[in-house]
Amino acid sequence: MECKTNNPAAWRFTIRFIVLSLLYGLFSVLSTAGLLLLHPTGIVIWLLALLPAIPIAMAVLLTGRYMSEEKDDFQRAVLVQSLLGGIGATLVVTTVWGFLENYAHFHRLDILFLWPIYLVFVAISYGIVKAKYR
Amino acid sequence: MESRFSNFVNRRFHRRSLVVMLLYVLALAVMSLAIDHLHLRGVGLVLLALLPALPIVAGIVVIAQYLSEQKDEFVRALLIESMLWGVGATLIVTTVWGALEKFAHIRAMSLFLVYPLCCVFVILARVVVKRRYR
Repeated sequence: MECKTNNPAAWRFTIRFIVLSLLYGLFSVLSTAGLLLLHPTGIVIWLLALLPAIPIAMAVLLTGRYMSEEKDDFQRAVLVQSLLGGIGATLVVTTVWGFLENYAHFHRLDILFLWPIYLVFVAISYGIVKAKYR
Repeated sequence: MESRFSNFVNRRFHRRSLVVMLLYVLALAVMSLAIDHLHLRGVGLVLLALLPALPIVAGIVVIAQYLSEQKDEFVRALLIESMLWGVGATLIVTTVWGALEKFAHIRAMSLFLVYPLCCVFVILARVVVKRRYR
């Protein structure tokens, strides 16, 4: 069964996603630097905190667009299953960690890192789903 | 127009989702009682922490099952879009909150809240997405 991402829509999606991930990194650095160095107050704190959320919102839009552009049902199903795996793993980790944090005095997991954690889980899930259909 | 089979699959999905949510609440109640009365430590505590993760995994399985059973492509796309927005909104909120928590010293968000938050956002997104196509 063919499961290679050799169609234009998938390539476009991959490249755009890499660009957005880089933007997320850049915006996170800018936001952190701004919050640490400028010591802003009021609305500026909110604006700086919102900065890394922009690429996240764009990634959601991009994924939605890819889903509608992708004509290959199989590729779409692989992505949906990977997203489900990523969402499930992220929610399980946050729930279990949250409990251990509250009752076993675990080190606090910064909720700022949920997006990268989610992406790692989606990538792992993507590998597993693809291997399943190989 | 939704077919009779599509309606049946939808009803089953909603029923199963409701059961999963009730199981999650039950798991939390059991966990809370166990913490108060059993004074668990070590492996026991970790196993207890895994309890609410089971309904979360079951929820993901229910969604995956629904997506494979639902033959109506449009109805399937509605759920996928709602999930994308729900997860996106959750990750945006956690990212912004995380930054504000760190730099503006607002109240820390418990990781425990991520799953309920995600459920609320997915439900809200489903209502909005459905309304858009009405």
